[in-house]
Amino acid sequence: MKQIQGSYIKGYVRIKVTGHMPELFFQECTDRGVTVWNIKRDGKKTCSGNVKLADISEIKKLRRETKYKISFTQRRGYPFLFHRFLRRKEFVLSLVMSIIMILFMSNIIWKVEVTGELPIEIEEKISKQLNEYGVHPGAWLFTIESPGVIQQKLTNDIPELLWVGVRQKGTTYQLEGVEKIVIKEEKVEGPRNLIATKKGVIKRMYVSKGLPKVEVNDYVKPGQVLVSGVLNEVQDTQVNDDKENKKEKKKSVLVPAEGEIIASTWYEVDVTIPLKQNYELLTGQQEKKYYLGIKDFKFPIWGFKSPEYEAVHHDTLETPIKFIKWNLPLRIIETTLSEKQFHEIDRTKEQAIQAGIKQAKEELQLQLGSEATIVSEKVLHETIENGKVKLELYITVEENIVEAQPITQGD
Amino acid sequence: MKKLHQRLRPWLVKHLALPSDVVMELPRMTIIGQLHVYIENHKGLSVFTDNELRLKTTKGYIQIKGSSFVLKMMLPEEILLEGKITEVKFIPR
Repeated sequence: MKQIQGSYIKGYVRIKVTGHMPELFFQECTDRGVTVWNIKRDGKKTCSGNVKLADISEIKKLRRETKYKISFTQRRGYPFLFHRFLRRKEFVLSLVMSIIMILFMSNIIWKVEVTGELPIEIEEKISKQLNEYGVHPGAWLFTIESPGVIQQKLTNDIPELLWVGVRQKGTTYQLEGVEKIVIKEEKVEGPRNLIATKKGVIKRMYVSKGLPKVEVNDYVKPGQVLVSGVLNEVQDTQVNDDKENKKEKKKSVLVPAEGEIIASTWYEVDVTIPLKQNYELLTGQQEKKYYLGIKDFKFPIWGFKSPEYEAVHHDTLETPIKFIKWNLPLRIIETTLSEKQFHEIDRTKEQAIQAGIKQAKEELQLQLGSEATIVSEKVLHETIENGKVKLELYITVEENIVEAQPITQGD
Repeated sequence: MKKLHQRLRPWLVKHLALPSDVVMELPRMTIIGQLHVYIENHKGLSVFTDNELRLKTTKGYIQIKGSSFVLKMMLPEEILLEGKITEVKFIPR
């Protein structure tokens, strides 16, 4: 019986054969490998039996070759049911609508949760910021940026937050924040000296606590004591080492030295500047295009026209579409086309040197921090090699060279 | 030669205990009460009505009589008949 098993799923048809000796038609069928079942004699010239849906073409071929008249009386099985279902338009429509509905809802933010032990003000601030970014219940998932970007923005925009973790869990956004507790920079407590970190010539001094050991225009080496924390060590003009002093006079008072000592320091910097340089610049003209992506195929939804730019910079952002909790193989692709221009610079030697100096200064400033000021620069040596200008620069900087060093009391 | 062949087959069945329906190309019929008849190894259907089924075999016909016959399944060389069976008859050619 296994031949007719599963025929309901694949569908079967009851055929009625009319003619002389109709049973012979079924014999013909079986000879051709078509399985027939439930054959019944209906009358003198008619006979009916079941045939699989897949064998219909074979039956039709046979009908042409023989003289029998064949009619289909019953259609049974899943394919016919399915067909009947498709004919009911309202039904199909509602099914499609509900799928679209679920699709729609799975791509919307339903909830924004803020966890972590945060004061209410900060929590309010976070939700306000999030609103500004477009993260609020009811927002489309693919109009907002990725959690990583939001995380970065939040930590930048809310200085009270030390860290914030943004996680997208299905249709909810979970935020976990850690409050920043401002702790003052740890300073060397107790008595200390101020020593030099770099070699240089002292330009200005401002000592609020402690005994200055150097004077303006003195040359100092790294590690040299600039301001001593040991007071009334020696009343004489003799200058001795701290330790010896302590041994001699135990009455000396130790204080934490404080002060700012600006010294002019110098750096030798090598820079290389090419005489010819190419670079790209965006003009600010841009257009956006939207695509529906299926695997490698992109189907345009919005923005069909290609802008008439000579050179285009492409920037694409892909967001997957979700169905309940799974990512569908569909994506919304947003492509930003920006116009760009190529620039080519031909520099003379003078211009190259100027650019080199500027670059070196910027790099040095970045290294030293904003407190340092660059006073002057001098070109020590310049060579032109392979279309590049090599410069050796000598740069003078005024900066604070103070570092605290605790005084060990020797016990 | 053909004669020898035909004489060999009964001998094979008798002395080597080979199944007779296979060796001698005879139909094998399984009858379950009056309800079902299952016929294998037949050579085709010749008559089928409500109360008669006639099948060709190598040596004539098998005639099955009864009432309200339905062919439950029909495959090449296999037939399952359902109904009220009253008579099974071999008609030699």
